[in-house]
Amino acid sequence: MSEYLTYALVLLSFGAYVVLDGYDLGVGILSLFDRSERRRREYNELIATAWDANESWIILGGVALWAGLPGAYATVLPGVYPPLIAMLFAVILRGMGLEFQSASGTYRRGWGLLFGLASLAVTLCQGLVIGAVLSGLPQRDGHFTGDALAWLTPYSVLCALGLVCVYLLAGAAWLQDKTEGTAHEWAGRLGRPLLGATLVAALILGFGLEVADPQHFPFEQPLRATLFGLAVAAALVCSAVAWYGFGRRPDWRPFAAVLGAEAAGLLALVAATVPVVVPPSLTLHEASSPQGSQVFLVVGVGLCMPFVLAYNIYAWWVFRGKFREAERQSPTTTAPDDGSAGPFVPPPESRIVVIVRRTLLTLLGILLAAVSQDIFGGESAWVDPLGIALLSGTALVAWILGDRRARRLGEYDLPGGERP
Amino acid sequence: MASSSVVELSRWQFAITAIFHMTFPALTVGLSLLLAVAYTVYVRTGNPLYLQIFRFWKKIFAVGFGLGVVAGTVMTFEFGLNWGIYAHAVGPVIGVTIGMEVITAFFLEAGFIGIMLYGDGRVKPRTMALASWMVAAGTLLSTTWILSANSWMQDPAGYREVDGQFHVTDWWQVLLNPAFSHRFPHMLLAVLISASWFVGGISAWYLVKRRASALPFARRTLSMALGVLAILMPVQLYVGDATAVFMGGRQPAKLQAFEGNWTTDNNDYNLVVIPDTDQGKNDFRVGIPYLGAAIGHDLTGEAKVPGLLQTPPDERPNMWSAFYGFRAMYFTALAMFAAAFAGLVLRLRGRLFTSPRFLRWLVWMTPAGVIAITGGWITAESGRQPWVVYGKLRTADAVSHLTLTEAALSLTGFALLYATLLTLWIRYIIRTVKAGPEPVTDLRTAQPEGSVV
Repeated sequence: MSEYLTYALVLLSFGAYVVLDGYDLGVGILSLFDRSERRRREYNELIATAWDANESWIILGGVALWAGLPGAYATVLPGVYPPLIAMLFAVILRGMGLEFQSASGTYRRGWGLLFGLASLAVTLCQGLVIGAVLSGLPQRDGHFTGDALAWLTPYSVLCALGLVCVYLLAGAAWLQDKTEGTAHEWAGRLGRPLLGATLVAALILGFGLEVADPQHFPFEQPLRATLFGLAVAAALVCSAVAWYGFGRRPDWRPFAAVLGAEAAGLLALVAATVPVVVPPSLTLHEASSPQGSQVFLVVGVGLCMPFVLAYNIYAWWVFRGKFREAERQSPTTTAPDDGSAGPFVPPPESRIVVIVRRTLLTLLGILLAAVSQDIFGGESAWVDPLGIALLSGTALVAWILGDRRARRLGEYDLPGGERP
Repeated sequence: MASSSVVELSRWQFAITAIFHMTFPALTVGLSLLLAVAYTVYVRTGNPLYLQIFRFWKKIFAVGFGLGVVAGTVMTFEFGLNWGIYAHAVGPVIGVTIGMEVITAFFLEAGFIGIMLYGDGRVKPRTMALASWMVAAGTLLSTTWILSANSWMQDPAGYREVDGQFHVTDWWQVLLNPAFSHRFPHMLLAVLISASWFVGGISAWYLVKRRASALPFARRTLSMALGVLAILMPVQLYVGDATAVFMGGRQPAKLQAFEGNWTTDNNDYNLVVIPDTDQGKNDFRVGIPYLGAAIGHDLTGEAKVPGLLQTPPDERPNMWSAFYGFRAMYFTALAMFAAAFAGLVLRLRGRLFTSPRFLRWLVWMTPAGVIAITGGWITAESGRQPWVVYGKLRTADAVSHLTLTEAALSLTGFALLYATLLTLWIRYIIRTVKAGPEPVTDLRTAQPEGSVV
């Protein structure tokens, strides 16, 4: 039982990732095909508010897989080493493009291109990884045993292309929901061709799986066949809704329908393959970690999940509706360094006093450093902690008094004179 | 099983990616607290100075956090990519711990950071403050879980071994393992301290340059940073010493390596050594007599500092990395202590903002905390070798079934990518600092509705 719950958690995480980061990546790829710099920047900013949260799901999925199904984690990851490493590179580049673009006040062509191209690369690599897993990895006892190119199969390449269609579709649906004007119209027009392409890809990949996947799909089991049929039907209904909804109001409808179709498609795949997690032969049971760990994971994550969902939904709700550029923060101007603070003139002091003071303070500093390091710990247990308490206490009092003094002298007053 | 070069390359790759990742939390944990405090004060007093502080540090925090996220994604998958055997063996223990980190901490940060960074004008100022606190809470929780996971590898507890896999027998012992109780406070203080030097150093730069528009801003954050530092530096030295003593007891080889002795025949504190690993001796050594014994809590100077020859050859860590990692941490720590103490003295004399030499020194201290953290982690991780789970699983037995080409190409890729990224990140920080905080006049007009002003 616990292994099925764990599997459900892993699937939920990866599913949420595909659904959420899918639109992210899709918008990224679409930004490559838009000529307007203003809109490119807009796409970037659309994503900037949510991508951290969206990307968290793949991390949760990866870690849940590791904790709950270490056999699968340890077989799959070395098996898809090259595409997965390439995906990580692309993830880094994408984050870099996105954040630096967002941080610079205007559109920067280089960052924009990096963001778009890296989005495409991430998608392709993810498709390769999914395809490689579905077409089976050489394995023994929960360890990968194949060579460096085991991931490269015709099926995995098809899968990569298929995933690009899926993400583009989600991206277009998201744009219809979030934008206005040209981008909005464009997304509405793109939707149906992309949906068609996705359906064709799904058909090819679905029937191709029979050929590519070395395992036998036991569809003669009635429960499995029913679940599979229902999931496929749900996916088709959602696709029909999305088809109808593109280019029509309400603007949120295509996106919701695409999400539904993605989720249903994933369920269909799971219904067909469970309990095999890594074809051809690694089953859920063999890949599992001990029950204690799975229970801890599922209960721990399960207790947190309502809160996580609640604040994620809240964050979504804050940024609901059409995108609007935040009121431009006017570019910061550098004030001339006029040196108005005035050079500091120390009062005259006898040289000897200064030297004596500095020597004493240096000695005191060395002594305090020694005390902090518990140098008398061998002699007495309380001397050093007491010394530290006195020193840190003095620092705290000095901080409070110093701040008060500085405030009285107006050190923290803003230029312009008025005090709040 | 796997060739020794694949092990070497995978170790280098892990070291590079882990060190690189670490530099971001080293700043963002403390910065998130500064942001939360600044925004809360702004909401309560309406003083635009604090909005100015929030807006400025937000710019650096946002990019640092984003880069930390992507670098962290790499870490999550690397455990399985390069260390498949390790991943399979410790998944039921460490996998679960890190899973809890993701769900409790990572999501908290990622969920609220959007509101914190882009919520201005969309949500109430109070909500912004709450979001900032949530992000800060997330970063602190994250530190806790990660230290628990790593400490378990340093000093495993609460498990039994079944067919080469670690199965948990007692979760409390796993999560609150003995090493955790020392290493967690040490690291928590370290990240707060390193962010304080970063903030303090940059603030000092504005004072050194006497940039009129930024002076109140810089004085305010400098005072906060040095206040935190003067309180925490003594505590950190004490906690650090206790950690070294404790870990030295649990992992004697690590202590022998980072003290830089082969033979147990002197009471020096070594400043420089050139170890010869094959012969088991130092080609060159400079030490201060008696100081080694004194730091080891023996003021009579009788005690000899233990040497690495006490450990069998196949269980010895590399002395180079352990020794110089530790020295980088320790010498930086002394410089930090001195600077914090000098800051305290200057504050008592009322000269904190007007001592040009001290302020210039502070500018140089900007990266001090990050350097010390890096050195400390190099000591902790390389000193644990040749084990990945101390005493239980050897690093050489933990590596995935990979070809040399795969390991070499990915290592090269990460090295190049991270070098570029680090350059861009530093350049971004410098540019942001040079541009300076936004002028207050703009902030006044752009105030969110409903604020207390």
